Amino acid sequence: MTWSHRERLRAALHHEQGDRIPIDFGGAEFTSITLLAYERLKAHMGVDAETRVMSIIHSAAHPDESILEQFGVDTRNIQPGPYDGGHQEWIDPNHYIDMFGVHWKRTEKDMDQHFLHVDGPFYEGDLTIDRIDAFDWPDGKNPGLAAGVGERVQEIMAAGSYARVLYLPGGVIHRGYAMRGFENYLRDLYRRPEALTHLMDKLCDFWVDTAVSVLEAAGPENIDVVYFGEDLGTQEGCMFDPEGIYARYFKPRHRRMVETVKSRADIKICFHCCGSAYHFIDHLIDIGVDALNPVQVRAKNMEPKRLKAEFGDRLCFWGGIDTQRTLPFGTPEEVRQEVRHIIEVLGKGGGYVLNSVHNIQSEVPPENIVAMFDEGHKHSYAPAA
Amino acid sequence: MSVSEIYEAVSDYDDAKVTELVNAEVAAGTEVQVILNEGMIAALDEIGRKFSEGTLFVPEMLMAAEAVQAGLEIVRPLLIDTGIKPVGCVVIGTVKGDLHDIGKNLVAMMLEGAGFKIVDLGTDVDAAQFIDAAQENEADLIAMSGLLTTSMPEMEKAVVVIDEANSTRNMNVKVMVGGPPVSQDFAERIGASGYGIDAPGAVDLARGLVH
Repeated sequence: MTWSHRERLRAALHHEQGDRIPIDFGGAEFTSITLLAYERLKAHMGVDAETRVMSIIHSAAHPDESILEQFGVDTRNIQPGPYDGGHQEWIDPNHYIDMFGVHWKRTEKDMDQHFLHVDGPFYEGDLTIDRIDAFDWPDGKNPGLAAGVGERVQEIMAAGSYARVLYLPGGVIHRGYAMRGFENYLRDLYRRPEALTHLMDKLCDFWVDTAVSVLEAAGPENIDVVYFGEDLGTQEGCMFDPEGIYARYFKPRHRRMVETVKSRADIKICFHCCGSAYHFIDHLIDIGVDALNPVQVRAKNMEPKRLKAEFGDRLCFWGGIDTQRTLPFGTPEEVRQEVRHIIEVLGKGGGYVLNSVHNIQSEVPPENIVAMFDEGHKHSYAPAA
Repeated sequence: MSVSEIYEAVSDYDDAKVTELVNAEVAAGTEVQVILNEGMIAALDEIGRKFSEGTLFVPEMLMAAEAVQAGLEIVRPLLIDTGIKPVGCVVIGTVKGDLHDIGKNLVAMMLEGAGFKIVDLGTDVDAAQFIDAAQENEADLIAMSGLLTTSMPEMEKAVVVIDEANSTRNMNVKVMVGGPPVSQDFAERIGASGYGIDAPGAVDLARGLVH
């Protein structure tokens, strides 16, 4: 049989082997490419299409359709539109305010163009329920968020049988860090849990409202994967206690988010968690997560063999091609070797979607990017006996 | 009342209690170094050990380090009065082009809690700024941090310039590096004096380098 892009991805997420490993590029904000690397890739491939920005914060591009075609990418991205009105404002090209009233800045030097939060509505003082309630909250049902979503879905469906990935930004942890400040948020887990959980609920409400309205605009049955997530790990371990903090505070809210999506159609959930996700994986499986991204293979306890052996029957893996060493510093041949190795381990029996670990970073040579997708595309599963 | 209660208060992340107990010990005439070493540093070392073994996490280490800082506010002037010098001086920052500072801040707090003098230059720091601050403060160590892989060549370049400064400006400062993409191999390759795998690891490393 000839496999469509959509069938190939759906098979993998059902732990079945298609004809080859499905490939994602640009399905979501953390599976794409930084603007600097993208410009070099375009030049290398002779593509002169205008660059479209996918994420300001992560300085990520939407890869052009011609590039997706050339790499045989199976996924296509859908995401909410820009919020109408609200707190949003550009102060200057290196400083903007988002819909949550958070100030984001980037370095003026040109090597990295990430924006990081530098101030937010609750950065200063004690967090209280009254302060949270008094804030002028953005509305998840804002028409801007759903605008253009239905048209985008129709455009993808008209172009071919691609797997449709809906990326829903945010959650309850990272937006909370941005509004309250990272260190304050962590302290409040212990010192002001009542106020902090109120903040989490406001953020969870926003996400759920957005999900409902955007899924409605897309037509839930047209969506194959909803992609969202937040970082629970560090390079060397867990950001916080998987039981005392994650299971108690974050898990019930993540469960509500997953159930909001899954109650609407047969949609798979791809959860993004950088760093060492290992100690959180059982919780994620328990709330209904189907695939883990980005599978940061150089973080602690994240060896592909270990992950596949321990969780491979219950969890799919989405990512895994190393961006901390191989892609930026390896040769194209080393990239190819790594792709073959990851496919052999994580792709066994299905359950794997090929992508870099997080966005392809700024210094990655275009030759290595081409090598990654080309090698991934070459792989075929042996026909079933 | 005893110094062990200070140890307990740090372990409970209770900065108000630490302040109260340190004041009481000082008033009772307990040696400042005993308060510092046995009450605060010993407690934070234990927290660091648990962090590295994966039984305590970032929020707990952050709060313990802050509890120690509360105590340090009281004992620091007394240490100066009695002529007791810090264990060493570390100039710390996130390298040029990188604004990520969560890990760097944790390392700075843990080093400070271990008795080091810290000069924190913040983020997006170039080699010249590290060198000037190191010379001005007669620092023993420069600690460079970065989250991004693009920060690694910056560290490499900075080590070269710092080495030059050591010979041309009559300095003797060592370099330690850390951050998610950084490794022991990388530290050795670029000629840094060491790599800290995490914040407590950076403290162990710094202690070794100043001795």
